[in-house]
Amino acid sequence: MIRTWTLAAALMMLASCGGGEAEKPAETPETPEAPAPPANPELPALDAASLAASAESIALVPSIVETQKALNAAGIEATLAEKIVERNFDLASKEDLDRVAVRTGVILADMLLTIKTAEDAELIAKLDGLNTGLSQLGGGADIQSTISDMKERLGVKALTRDEMLQEADELSGALIPELEFNGRKRTVPLIQAGSWLEGANLVAKSVPDDNPSAADGMLKQPAVVDYFIKYVKEEGSDKAPDGVGEKLLESLNTLKGLCDKAEPLTKEDIATIIKTTDDVLALL
Amino acid sequence: MNKLLLCGLAACLYASPAFADEAEAEACVRQKVWDGYSEGWSIRTLTSSTLATGSTQNYLVTLYKGNEYQVQTCSGAGAKNIDILLYDLNGQIKARDDAEGPDPVLTYKPDATATYYIVAYARELNAGTDKVPVAVALTYR
Repeated sequence: MIRTWTLAAALMMLASCGGGEAEKPAETPETPEAPAPPANPELPALDAASLAASAESIALVPSIVETQKALNAAGIEATLAEKIVERNFDLASKEDLDRVAVRTGVILADMLLTIKTAEDAELIAKLDGLNTGLSQLGGGADIQSTISDMKERLGVKALTRDEMLQEADELSGALIPELEFNGRKRTVPLIQAGSWLEGANLVAKSVPDDNPSAADGMLKQPAVVDYFIKYVKEEGSDKAPDGVGEKLLESLNTLKGLCDKAEPLTKEDIATIIKTTDDVLALL
Repeated sequence: MNKLLLCGLAACLYASPAFADEAEAEACVRQKVWDGYSEGWSIRTLTSSTLATGSTQNYLVTLYKGNEYQVQTCSGAGAKNIDILLYDLNGQIKARDDAEGPDPVLTYKPDATATYYIVAYARELNAGTDKVPVAVALTYR
């Protein structure tokens, strides 16, 4: 014990005997080098601007079946499939590919919503329409053989409705968005726009009169609407007075105005969405 | 080759994830998606990219309140630690996977309908590996 105290005292004396001169700190460089960043930082260096600049939009638009689920989760017990209006589209047109793309998107949405309930013949007709539309758009042989295969199995009762929904989900969400369509980049967004407009129309028609803001989450989608507007306005879109591009843009701009509205949607807003989307869908 | 036909092939690839390219990584994640249907999951999108060490690929997504979302991944051979993160539009992290490995899964139930970024981050690749394919699928139920 005594030895410990003696050692401590000696160390203290040594420490305090500086000869009156201030002790120099250990030598350090004028501008210390920044520590090297860890090789595997826990987080990537991303901020809002860099995220926005580098984002891909392939997964942006919710599927219509997903929208149906969200609608029910929001307390609206409507079935979107029951609101579908029968339409006879010409999908064989080679002159107006924008229109064919939007029509194809509507057919795809309607098919997804009715897979569990429609008659085989109705679904086969929708698969035929889809095949014709995608063929006109230059979707390629693979997608056509996929659809023909589904149609064949449905025709001989070798495809359950659950299996068909699963395959159609993948067709809509993964296969079609990856097709090249002869390098025409606006085709996929226009197909998605057709499905989304059909969905917005059906959702708006399902909103209860006494609770018009019940589906605001599904109808106020500014990022989705901006994405469609970007492609519809793009150079090369049809500019004919009766072209679907003009009407589609007008419709999307109206929806954008409602998306940007801070207040909940009113009964009048819902009526506007129904009319706007009805108008553009009727033009198809 | 018809992509849907890859689904059968994916079953064997799924057991041993050592993929050289994006198509194989996609086949692996497609099998996971299909397996998820038995638990009520459905697919929104499936896509892939190739990432170098420290690089990211981000996807803009709209997620609905009331639905639950799951991001499934499959990475190629040489991926040691791939992360999946969910950012809001302000650049704030809302969720991230907490596993260390090549095929993370992230499950998220948003408390509001909003637009987010899903970010795949190649945090660490094995020595000698320059880049790896990373397939990502967004599913919901």
